[in-house]
Amino acid sequence: MTAYVVQRLLLMLVTLFAIITLTFFLMHAVPGGPFTSEKMLQPEIQAALNAKYHLDDPLWLQYLTYLRGVLSLDLGPSFKYAGMSVNEIIAEGLPVTMKTGALALICVVALGVPLGIVAALNRNRWPDTLVMVIATIGVAVPSYVIATVALYIFALRLGWVPTFGLDDWRGYFLPVFALSGFWISFIARLARSSLLETLQQDYMMTAKAKGLKRGTVLFKHGLRNSLIPVVTVLGPVVANLLTGSFVIEQIFALPGIGRHFVLSITNRDYTAIMGITIFYAAVLMVMIFIVDMLYLVLDPRIKYRADPK
Amino acid sequence: MTTPHMSTPLLSVTNLSTSFFTSRGEVKAVRGVSFELRAGEILGIVGESGSGKSITCMSLMGLLRSSGRVIDGSALFEGRDLLTLDEDELSALRGNDISMIFQDPMTSLNPTLTVGEQVIETILRHRKVSRSEARARAIELFELVRIPSAAKRLRSYPHEFSGGMRQRVMIAIALACDPKLLIADEPTTALDVTIQRQILALLKELQGRLGMAVILITHDLGVIAETADRVLVMYGGMVMEEGPVRELFARPSHPYTQGLLASIPDLRDDTHHRLTPIPGSPPDMLRPPKGCPFAPRCAHAMAQCNAALPPLYDAGPAHRARCWLHHPEAPRVAGITAELVPA
Repeated sequence: MTAYVVQRLLLMLVTLFAIITLTFFLMHAVPGGPFTSEKMLQPEIQAALNAKYHLDDPLWLQYLTYLRGVLSLDLGPSFKYAGMSVNEIIAEGLPVTMKTGALALICVVALGVPLGIVAALNRNRWPDTLVMVIATIGVAVPSYVIATVALYIFALRLGWVPTFGLDDWRGYFLPVFALSGFWISFIARLARSSLLETLQQDYMMTAKAKGLKRGTVLFKHGLRNSLIPVVTVLGPVVANLLTGSFVIEQIFALPGIGRHFVLSITNRDYTAIMGITIFYAAVLMVMIFIVDMLYLVLDPRIKYRADPK
Repeated sequence: MTTPHMSTPLLSVTNLSTSFFTSRGEVKAVRGVSFELRAGEILGIVGESGSGKSITCMSLMGLLRSSGRVIDGSALFEGRDLLTLDEDELSALRGNDISMIFQDPMTSLNPTLTVGEQVIETILRHRKVSRSEARARAIELFELVRIPSAAKRLRSYPHEFSGGMRQRVMIAIALACDPKLLIADEPTTALDVTIQRQILALLKELQGRLGMAVILITHDLGVIAETADRVLVMYGGMVMEEGPVRELFARPSHPYTQGLLASIPDLRDDTHHRLTPIPGSPPDMLRPPKGCPFAPRCAHAMAQCNAALPPLYDAGPAHRARCWLHHPEAPRVAGITAELVPA
C-alpha cells in the first residue's frame, strides 16, 4: 500500500513534467508573443524587453531555465503585470477563488446528493419530475446565462444582493449559485440514477427480507454503494470549482484566478499560462488521487498494489 | 425444539392472488393459490420460471416490487393475516419469525459490509442484546452452518467467500433469530452440483435440528424429492397438483407433473431413451386462458379444458390435482386416472 502511494506520487510528478513540456512547446508554437500586441513598440524597446525576459534565447534554453525555476517553486515573473510574479498572481487570486469554490462545493454535495436521493425514492412521482426538470435545466443552461439572469432578478430588480464584489457576505450568493448550479444538477442526476440502480440490487432485497428498518436499508445498504460513482466525479468537480471560473469571475467582478486562465492566453503571458496550467494540473491530480484513496474506504473489494515494473 | 401443532397449521394461505400492474396491463402472476404448512414441515413448491412460485412467497413477505399488489386472499401465520399487516409489523416479522434465503449468493450479500456485520445487524434488529452478545451469536451461527474459523471470518467481506460459503452466510443470517418459517427461494440453483448437495443436506439437517418449517422453492424436482415432505406443483400462477412427496412422485396425477417427471434424466436408466420435453411455452399472464392454463401444451386436452378451469380433484390420500381428467365423467387415461377409478 505504501509502495503504491509512493508510486502514484512519483507518477504524478512524471505527468506534471509531461504537461509542463507539452504546454511549453505548444504555447511557443502559437504565433505572437507577450509584447507583440502592444501598440507599435519601437523595435529597440521590443528587443530590450525580449532580452530582459530571455525571449531571445533559443527555445531549449528558455525551457531549461523555466524548468529550473519550477523546480525551485518559482513560476517566474508575469510578462503582463509588471513587477508581479506568477506566484503572486496565484497567491492573490486563490483565496477568493477558493472561498467561492469551497462554498459552491458545499452546495453541490449538500444539495445535489439529497436531491438525487429524493428523486430516486419518489421515482416517477412529482418530486422526481420536479427535481429532474430543474436538474435538466441546470445542466443544459450555461452558467453565464444563469449568472446574468440571477443578477438581473436578485440584484437589479429585487436588490437583495449586491451586483458585484464580495465585500458584503450577501455578495457570495449569486457567484456560488452560478458556479454550483451545473454541478448540483449533474450530481443530482447521477445520484438519482446510481441509487435507482442500487435499489434494484439483490442485496437490497436481502436487507428488507432481514426485517431491517426502511432507513437502515436505505442509508446503510443503499447509499454507500450508490455513492461510489458520485465520489468518482467529485474529484474533478472539486478541482474545477477550486480553480475558479473565468465567466463567473468576470460577471461578478471577482478578483479570483479563474479569469487568468483565459486572460493569460490572450495576453501570451507565457509564465502565467505555464504557472496556472501547472497549478490546475496539480490540483486535479491531487483530487483524483484523493478519490482513488476514498474508494478504499467505500469499497472493500478495491485493493491497490504497486506495479512491480 | 418446537412441537408440531398438528391441529392448527403454522401458515394457512387461502386464495392468494397477486398481480403486477404494468404499462401493458395487469399481469396476473398468482391466481388463487391456497396451501397449508404445519410447523416443522418442508413444503416444496415446484414450477418453471413465471409459474408464480416466487411471487407467492414474496407476497407473503410483503416484498413485492412496487408494481405488484396482492389483490385477494389471506395468509394466516400464527393467527395473524400477513396480507393485512402494515410495513412495521411485517418488518418485525421478517428475519425474525419468517426469514428468507435467495437464489444467487453472489449478489445477495452487500459487497461493502463485512459478513459479520450483515449477521449482527439482523440480530440487533430483532433481539434486545448487546453488540458483543450479537457477535457471539453470529459466531455460533457460523459454526452452525459450518463456516471454518468462524470468529475470524466474521470480519471478511462477501467477495472473499466462494459461492457455497456465501450461501452458508445467507443461511446463517436467515437462522439468526430462530425463525419458525424459512423460505428458501431456489437456494441451490446458482451453485455447482457438489455444493448444491452440501447446501441441501445442511438445510435439511438444520431444519431437523431447529424444527422450523421450510418452504423450498425450486424448479428442480430432484431437489424436492430429496428434501421436501410435501409438494405443490405450480403452473400459470396456480396450484396444479399437491400431495405428499412419495405419493406425488409415485402417482403424478396431472399431465404437467408427469411432463416434468418425464423430462428428468435418470442415471439408473440404461435404456438410453430420449428425454421427453414438454412442447410449447408457458401462458402469457397478461391474458391468462379462461380454461386450464396447461391445456395448450397438454397431450390429453379436451374441449372442456379450454372452456373452463378445472377444480382441484382428490387424486389420492392428501393428494389433489387440477385436471378435468379426474372428473367422474372424464375419459380414463392410462397413468393418470387408470389406477384411481377401477374400470
